[in-house]
Amino acid sequence: MAALSAPLALELGTLALLVLVLLSGLFGPKGSALPARLAFGGLVALLFVAWNAQPGASAFGGTFVVDELALFAKRLFLASAALSVLASLGGGPGPVPRRAAEYHVLLLGSLLGMLALASARELILLFVAFELMSIPLYVLTGFRKREDRASEAALKFFLVGTVSSAVILYGLSFVYGAAGTTEMAALPAAVDEGHPLVYLGLGLVLAGLGFKIAAVPFHMWVPDSYEAASAPFVAWLSVAPKAAGFVAVFRLYLEGMGVTALAWVPVAATLAVVSMVAGNLMAIPQSNIKRLLAYSGIAHIGYMLLGFAAMSANGTGMVLFYLVAYLFGNMGAFFVVEAVGRSESSDQLDAYKGLAQRSPMLALSLLVFLLSLGGIPFMVGFWAKLYVFWAVIEQGMYALAFLGALLTVVALYYYLVVARYMYIDAPVRAGAIAVPVSLTLAIAICLTGVVGMGVYPGPWVDGVLRVAGTLFR
Amino acid sequence: MAAVTDFPILSVITWAPFVSALVIMFGARHRPGFVRWTAAAGSSVSLVLSLWLYWAYDRAAAGFQFVERVELVPALGIAYELAVDGISLLMILLTAIIIFAGVFASWTVKTRAQEFYALLLLLVTGVFGVFVSLDLFVFFLFYEIAVLPMYLLIGIWGSSGAVRPQGIFGWAFGRTGVGTKEYAAMKLTLYLLFGSAFILVGILALYVAAGSQSFSFLTFERTTFSPALQTWVFLAFYIGFGILAGIWPLHTWSPDGHASAPTAVSMLHAGVLMKLGAYGVVRLGMGLLPEATIDWAWLVGTIACINIVYGALSAMAQTDLKYVVAYSSVSHMGVVMLGAATLTESGLNGSVFQMFAHGVMTGLFFALVGLVYEKAHSREIFKMGGFATMMPGIAAAFTIGGLSSLGLPATAGFVAEFLTFLGAWTSAHSWWLFPAVLGAFLTSIYVLRVVRHIFWGPPSADPRFQNLPDAQGPEWVAIGILVFVIVLFGVIPGIAIDPVDTATVPLLTRLGVFP
Repeated sequence: MAALSAPLALELGTLALLVLVLLSGLFGPKGSALPARLAFGGLVALLFVAWNAQPGASAFGGTFVVDELALFAKRLFLASAALSVLASLGGGPGPVPRRAAEYHVLLLGSLLGMLALASARELILLFVAFELMSIPLYVLTGFRKREDRASEAALKFFLVGTVSSAVILYGLSFVYGAAGTTEMAALPAAVDEGHPLVYLGLGLVLAGLGFKIAAVPFHMWVPDSYEAASAPFVAWLSVAPKAAGFVAVFRLYLEGMGVTALAWVPVAATLAVVSMVAGNLMAIPQSNIKRLLAYSGIAHIGYMLLGFAAMSANGTGMVLFYLVAYLFGNMGAFFVVEAVGRSESSDQLDAYKGLAQRSPMLALSLLVFLLSLGGIPFMVGFWAKLYVFWAVIEQGMYALAFLGALLTVVALYYYLVVARYMYIDAPVRAGAIAVPVSLTLAIAICLTGVVGMGVYPGPWVDGVLRVAGTLFR
Repeated sequence: MAAVTDFPILSVITWAPFVSALVIMFGARHRPGFVRWTAAAGSSVSLVLSLWLYWAYDRAAAGFQFVERVELVPALGIAYELAVDGISLLMILLTAIIIFAGVFASWTVKTRAQEFYALLLLLVTGVFGVFVSLDLFVFFLFYEIAVLPMYLLIGIWGSSGAVRPQGIFGWAFGRTGVGTKEYAAMKLTLYLLFGSAFILVGILALYVAAGSQSFSFLTFERTTFSPALQTWVFLAFYIGFGILAGIWPLHTWSPDGHASAPTAVSMLHAGVLMKLGAYGVVRLGMGLLPEATIDWAWLVGTIACINIVYGALSAMAQTDLKYVVAYSSVSHMGVVMLGAATLTESGLNGSVFQMFAHGVMTGLFFALVGLVYEKAHSREIFKMGGFATMMPGIAAAFTIGGLSSLGLPATAGFVAEFLTFLGAWTSAHSWWLFPAVLGAFLTSIYVLRVVRHIFWGPPSADPRFQNLPDAQGPEWVAIGILVFVIVLFGVIPGIAIDPVDTATVPLLTRLGVFP
């Protein structure tokens, strides 16, 4: 068991899995399902290892730590990756099965970057891990290379992403210049001197990270990427990189800044308000469900930034809880989109007409996921929103909580529009939608998570509060 | 004060409809008869137990009785805590009567009856839960359950109106689809959820101010809140619950919603859900925030007067039968809010009694309107005529409901309005009496006009309206029960006023305005 908690166990495991999948793709029969199944099996095994690992290991002189936050983040990344691979297992014809090995190698590469990012306590390591996470994502966005939209989206994502990486590096250089060291453990001491370069540097870093977590006004790549890429990948893209971005933010701003983190409250609050407002409003006129979910994702990032703006153990813990709630709700919704998209060959809302009469369980699943994202009680999203508002009210920022509550109603409008297509409108085509077993299993897992945590959130809340507490020692 | 029983009667009343909804959803595919009888069984369990509860409530001991408490999230102070006092007792009886009648009034729903009854029963569980919850967090959870199913119920089983606005409104509304059931469903749901945002922020503010220990109503009752906090939280509650109660000018979801909804849903919504809003103002606003109540009573009462007159005038202008009843609901909810704003014993008693009386009345109205629509396939008042010869039963019931609406003695409506008027005259703002009485006068105009035109006047020449049948079979159950209740409570109002008085007097004493 001690080996499981060795500092680089998960990263080495992922690397080994990556090599294994690559080799199986090179030497196995073309178009076989072996690489995908290998990837899924390996990810489940790694998730098991992560679940049983204990925090406390560190390597490379303290620049690579496996503390509570890192373990939480790694489990989240592995779980979301496993779910995404599961959903793409039983796929019909398309680029993914033909080049399955490449797809999964890229996914595992990005995952490796995320795992390293979660443990990074040194600026260069953070940046390198960040790049390792991002570059495969650009390629995967354009994976359906025969479609124009895919190439356009990948190029947009790549250009915007590269600029953001450059901005992050520029900001980090200022921080290094002011602090004289790249180790985050030494940052609070350097920052206490109130050097203006540090604020400039961290401001630039926040802008760069804002691209990755899709905060407004750094969100332009999101709708096109979501629309053009395959739904299981988009499900993962909508959750994991955002979580990674938040982990980086927590490392730099909460751990790194110490008590002067309070200076960032107005910035975080402004970003949160702008994201919530713009994301919710821009989702209203959408007729493509993937774009609708993309803009709604931007709005959810706004709510998470609200929790971050509270700058307290409660607020941070609630952001982590929100990420878990968002994982199940959003990935589940995209899995249903995948199911309907394969059957109807369309992601337009018109394809969802009368879904409740064609496939009642599928429609009910999507309704549950959307209501969870909208914050309706008995689903986990309600607790997530409630806790974030409570953390904000505790800090006395009543207006922000009120704005968030009002915008929830706006969000419910476009979620109910989808419900209208599914339940009220008559179906255009008859016949139930055929869903592959692996996709059904993925949807069922997400449903269990949403409803289970919604009815019994206690242990999860205690867990995230414990993790957040370590950041505020 | 609090009598704890072993048999969790309140939980059974609340969850019996939910259980029958589950049975219907999982056991009744393609078996419409089974669906209806299961729904009837679930609602009759609640009705029988509510009647027993009404009889068993100890009027001498007063206070909160039949308490049940189970810890849900101890870390946050959330518990599943149920209890009834005089006010909620009457409301539970109202809900049980309306849902029982509603199940029978919907007997002829054909398309997707299984989902219809399941959603309806889920909604009723939410309503029961709000009335019996003593924990404000669980109160809010039940409130959401009571609002969400409305969207599907109206959107799928509703009917689109024939309202076609003219002129500049026609251009504007043509683009938004006003009058269609989808529009009404979305507007109603979003408006009510918007109100719930205010309520949630208010509850959370009280929770944090009371020390973040417990969400229990009893804890908040013992806490003194600062006047500044009380002021804005009372406003938040007034706006949030007031939207549900249909206060002017936040009432516009109500006419479209009621007119587009199917019969049982309108009965529940106008009959019970709007009372939920008024109940929230009385229970949370007046019960927890004494100084703010006295400060803001003038606002509540003035807007209530506007409600009464504006609602009545709007009802007079309608040509669609369902819209007349919908606007008359807006007007009568004004009487409820006025009685609460008077801060007198007779006023508050009248307010609660009007919640009950109007709930039954409007339930009867919507049931009858639903029957007329089903038989005549039209809601246009001025095309119909002389229906009394063809459907005497429906005509008689409609007339009794109308007479109660305008406050004729021997009907429940008279008792409610008289008590409210008395309360208004003896309150700090005696001028409130005049708009209220004006409202009663205007009510008699539009009610009698509608009744005369549709039923008792010369027969219509329209070929669609010849040889229409009267109410049949299960439809009589709904009509009969509601008429009986209206007359019973009009002749023996003490049955209702006695338990209600045991709750209103302590509330007014706590406000410091009694006697």
